[in-house]
Amino acid sequence: MDQVVEINIQGLSKVYKLNKKQMQESHTKNPKKTAVDDLSLTARQGEIYGLLGPNGAGKTTTLRCIATIIKPTAGQVYVNGHEVQKEPEEVRKCIGFLTSDIKLDPQFSVDYMFDFFGELRGLPRQKIKERKKELFDYFQIGDFAHKKIKELSTGMKQKAAIAVSLVHDPEIIIFDEPTNGLDIITARSVTDYLRKLRDDGKLVIVSTHIMSEAEKLCDRIGIIIDGKKTAEGTLKELLEATGAGDLEDAFFEYYKAAKGEA
Amino acid sequence: MKTIYKKELARIFKDKKMIFSVFFLPVLLMVGIMALVGSLSKSEMEKIQEHKSIVYMINQPDSFAQFMEAADFNISVKDIATDAEFENAKTKLRDGDADLIIEFPDNFDQVIASYQEGQDVPQIKTYYNPSEDYSSSAYETISTQGLEAYRQILLSQRIGDLNGIQIFTVNTDNPDMVVQDDQKASGKALGMMLPYFITILLFAGAMGLGVDMVAGEKERGTMASLLVTQVKRKSIVLGKVFALMTLSGISSVIYIVVMGVSFPKILGGDSGLNFEVTVEQIVMIGVLLVAIAFLYSSIIVLISVFAKDTKEASTYITPAYMVVLVIGLMTMFTTKDAGTMEYMIPFYNTALALKGILVNEVTMAQYGITLGVTLVLGAVLTVAIAKAFESEKVMNM
Repeated sequence: MDQVVEINIQGLSKVYKLNKKQMQESHTKNPKKTAVDDLSLTARQGEIYGLLGPNGAGKTTTLRCIATIIKPTAGQVYVNGHEVQKEPEEVRKCIGFLTSDIKLDPQFSVDYMFDFFGELRGLPRQKIKERKKELFDYFQIGDFAHKKIKELSTGMKQKAAIAVSLVHDPEIIIFDEPTNGLDIITARSVTDYLRKLRDDGKLVIVSTHIMSEAEKLCDRIGIIIDGKKTAEGTLKELLEATGAGDLEDAFFEYYKAAKGEA
Repeated sequence: MKTIYKKELARIFKDKKMIFSVFFLPVLLMVGIMALVGSLSKSEMEKIQEHKSIVYMINQPDSFAQFMEAADFNISVKDIATDAEFENAKTKLRDGDADLIIEFPDNFDQVIASYQEGQDVPQIKTYYNPSEDYSSSAYETISTQGLEAYRQILLSQRIGDLNGIQIFTVNTDNPDMVVQDDQKASGKALGMMLPYFITILLFAGAMGLGVDMVAGEKERGTMASLLVTQVKRKSIVLGKVFALMTLSGISSVIYIVVMGVSFPKILGGDSGLNFEVTVEQIVMIGVLLVAIAFLYSSIIVLISVFAKDTKEASTYITPAYMVVLVIGLMTMFTTKDAGTMEYMIPFYNTALALKGILVNEVTMAQYGITLGVTLVLGAVLTVAIAKAFESEKVMNM
């Protein structure tokens, strides 16, 4: 592909309309909820970009907009130069998207699901076979490949889901809380693989609320609070800007500032 | 589309339990229920036939007692002499402990024998309880048929030659009285039932599967995994609709074959249908069934798309099922020949056409219109489903 591998978000906003029940649940009389508020960022090839923020900050919504699962209320999102609303299929072709809400059909084996998504992605049989060997070997899926998804443990399911989401060897990998609910060993193998993908020249964008993970994994971090991007930079830049000793302290500086302003 | 289609079929065919529950369990249940109902009603009939009717008589004349003996009715007669006994017998009748009370006037034989022209004729009163099977049966055989035969005997005693007052008979010896096209008659009977069965089989067969295929996938979060691939929404929708069509088609074929084989056996002997179908009819019905399966599948998928979960989908689909069923059933009660305009009405036209094909009364134009309307409506719904797939709100995103 001659285009640059890049995610470019310009002034993204996502506003949800709440129904009465949702308004009651969130104790508000405002029927509109702004999940993402005028957010802009650029993530480039060969880096792991981390969206860091508390629960409900708008991380997942942002990732979903990039993955064309939901439509932005305002602003543009370009993935490899393709605008998500104008060319959603082109966008979907070059991304691998994983979130805890997206699940594999529990009725089928990992093996079947891998082949199925390979075919859906339009890969030739031989290519599917090669990708399967590579990913199954790395994540040690071979032992349970023939088992139905519903028979697998959480860790195994997550490994299978990661493998399936990467079947088409996408240039851009979007993972929402990739290590959520995983034991330390599985989590490590996932983060190691994300590093490998970056080293292979992919663009990886993840969301997390785990400070230590962001610190170790991400090349650049965007801090999101209440749908707004409040800071962006490498770990070093963020620490320097706040004078904090670690990311957690730096995050709280930004958090206090954002809440103070509000 | 092919991949989605294959996967939806694999979901059923890879799982022995699913194959059994989707294709065979409903058939087995139906056959089992029919067999049970058949054998129960048969044994009930036998029981009624074997039952010795308990008949209370008031003023029973000798001539009737002789008649009953000669006619060999399976009854036990008890005489009533007083009003108290009569009331007691009525109570027993109400409780199901007696089957019939026959009340003759006093001196019935003498009144009959001394009858003069112009006199009042005596009245025999019978009492029965229609909510008791034994009583109903006793009323039918003794009060209706038995007393009629008894009257004929008394009449012949009075008149001598009954032919003298009979003047003429109607069809007492005319085995050829029914002049009809057997083919058309059977076709008509079949044509009344077929639309009803087709609707039940195709719709009910697809209901559970369709709900699981779409609402179930939404509920499980597996639909989103399809939506993040570059596959066109239209292809996902068509793959699912066609898979549903195929599955409901297979299940109805199994149903029809099993029913065809087992029905006459269950009901005991000939079903009374004397029918031969031509290849042309089979092809016409077959093509129409494919179109109907497409329409029904798209209805079910459309409803499932808008439902939040499988429970909600099932709730919405049942009324739709009823509506389709009732519209199809309406053809059962229309006697006049349908005009071409009526073949424009969806659901109604398919029932009309199925009936029309079986009695050889549908024109090619009417058949074509039916097919066209059904396919176009199915296609419109499919487009609507694909549009719904684009909506993040509908897809619970």
